[in-house]
Amino acid sequence: MIAARELDLRLADEIMAEPGGEHLLTCWSCGTCAATCLVRRFNPAFNPRRILHQAGLGLRQQVLSSAEIWQCSACDACYPRCPQQIHISQVMQAIRNVALREGYQAPGPCAQVEAATCSGCAVCTRACPYKAIERVTQRMDGQERAVAYVDGNLCQRCGICVAVCPSRAIRLEEFNDSELLTRIGADGWLERPGWLQGGAEAPRILALVCQWSIRSEVEWAGLQALQSDALRLVNLPCSGRVDPAMILLALNQSADGVLVVGCREGECHYQRGTYLGRGKVMLLREMMAALGLPPERVRFAELGALDRDALRPLVAQFRQCLTEVLTVALRGMP
Amino acid sequence: MTKINLAAYWASSCGGCDIAIVELGEHLLELAQVADIVFWPAATDHKYADIEAMADGFVDVTLFNGAIRTEEDAHIAHLLRRKSKLLIAFGSCAMEGCVPGLSNIQGPDHALRRAALEAPSNDNPQGVLPQGRYAMPEGDLTLPRLCKTLRTLEQVTTVDYALPGCPPNYDQVWKALQAIIAGELPAKGSLLGVDPRTVCDQCPRTRQGKLRVSAFRRPHEVIADPEQCFLEQGLVCTGPATHAGCGALCVKANMPCRGCYGPPEGVVDQGAALLNAIVASCDGQSDADIRRVVSTIVDPLGTFYRFGLANSLLQGARLGATAGDACAAQTHQEEAR
Repeated sequence: MIAARELDLRLADEIMAEPGGEHLLTCWSCGTCAATCLVRRFNPAFNPRRILHQAGLGLRQQVLSSAEIWQCSACDACYPRCPQQIHISQVMQAIRNVALREGYQAPGPCAQVEAATCSGCAVCTRACPYKAIERVTQRMDGQERAVAYVDGNLCQRCGICVAVCPSRAIRLEEFNDSELLTRIGADGWLERPGWLQGGAEAPRILALVCQWSIRSEVEWAGLQALQSDALRLVNLPCSGRVDPAMILLALNQSADGVLVVGCREGECHYQRGTYLGRGKVMLLREMMAALGLPPERVRFAELGALDRDALRPLVAQFRQCLTEVLTVALRGMP
Repeated sequence: MTKINLAAYWASSCGGCDIAIVELGEHLLELAQVADIVFWPAATDHKYADIEAMADGFVDVTLFNGAIRTEEDAHIAHLLRRKSKLLIAFGSCAMEGCVPGLSNIQGPDHALRRAALEAPSNDNPQGVLPQGRYAMPEGDLTLPRLCKTLRTLEQVTTVDYALPGCPPNYDQVWKALQAIIAGELPAKGSLLGVDPRTVCDQCPRTRQGKLRVSAFRRPHEVIADPEQCFLEQGLVCTGPATHAGCGALCVKANMPCRGCYGPPEGVVDQGAALLNAIVASCDGQSDADIRRVVSTIVDPLGTFYRFGLANSLLQGARLGATAGDACAAQTHQEEAR
């Protein structure tokens, strides 16, 4: 039940006055957006149709204070499907702008730049899909220096900047290098000998999996049962977070192959993250081949938003391929 | 005041590192007041027998340039390690393998064939390859043999400090020498003669910050704008993944950074860091777009690992005995001899 006196009719006007918010009231509430929404598949509490409807009605407090308005990652899967052609991610941005003015903030943590290490090279500002990073001038050690600064209200925590920073100056809670390495090497996984080193029954695989390509917590929990000495599953915020140095480190230690799992084209939660992930793997494989390393040891695989329980066969297929390729390669060794 | 004993050596190198010492200019006179040069093949007439005759630890500081490519290089590296209190990997070759390290892609036999037979400037109608031993009426002539893998100094013996650069900037060499003479050295294992952060920190060019690249080009294909960030012009510049120290020399001469100062602090693999930075700069909102832009990079292996291949994680991931293991085995044999 909604009490009419709680409705604030100015809210819709305020949102529509923001750039991108113009089409708020053209929404028919058909729910096509909710049906295609990638966030919703992961978090059923998120419903763009409801947010737009509530904002149009004027439920000021309820809309502006909700955590959901910050969860839209502008993947724009809904945009081409909306019969009213509403660019919902932009409407969300307009709602956020109003919320910011009222003193609300995006729930943290966002990516953080360590200014003393940052060279202001602008690699991250180019990489960020949300243009959430700017170079700002800071006074440090008696000199003016341009360093990167992350706008926490635009940051979607995809971790792409963390991976691309050549100075390792950007941190994102849960997905820092040290934290990923701890998860990869838990229980001494990296110290135990690999199949190539003659110490395992089957090729040992490290799978770096985009957290959005496994759609539900239930499915993710089910995958934990797959974890074994022969398979180490580690989740990334996005396959764009993958760092070739980490892949190489695993190959140097004891992994026989590394599988990077991202989303299918057009289904990336973070706009272009999956393209960056597969671009990196593609280049890395090219360099491995040039150096006489079997490029098959590293693979990028995609999971579709509607795929269920697809990781298991992917891993099995990769292991099969590794066994074949590496057997041939070992035979060719002096 | 007692003088310190200073040695310098060239292993597999181009000679540029020795020039970097000569470039100290009049500082050499100051150096001569506080240091005796006990061994420096590029400039003085000492022989190997002279070092062998020295007591262990007689040399206070050795500036060792060049990579370890031949048995002779490895032998002298071990010898100088024994004779020196401080052994410094001087320049990119000794520190990380540098351009000679790229010969590890195809191996020493290919390098020999290329140098002696295939290079267009060769005049070798009989197709003679250099031999380890050759009998002459006057007696046998020998040449040191090439090792299977080119190694960095640290892959052969313990190194106390490294001074990066191809060659190291003479200002930085002088700064490092002053620190050595004054006994104000950082913790062992540190880099000498560098500045904090990366080349971009010292680069005066303007960066728009949001401009992505739709195709990469090579320096000879364009006349680069002298004010704008090279990467934003579509030229692969390794500045973002290169330790500061040179003062952005190449960039100021309108050439993109090539990466000779090695990876920034805390980064193990310069090539991987560059790969990240370059892919992230690619324009495009589809798989095909990124694929197209990435495919315009010519020779990514030689470009990203131009200086650091020999001690990279990439080379370490090679099949069978990893580079590290092979080196360890080789080193063990050398020490046993």
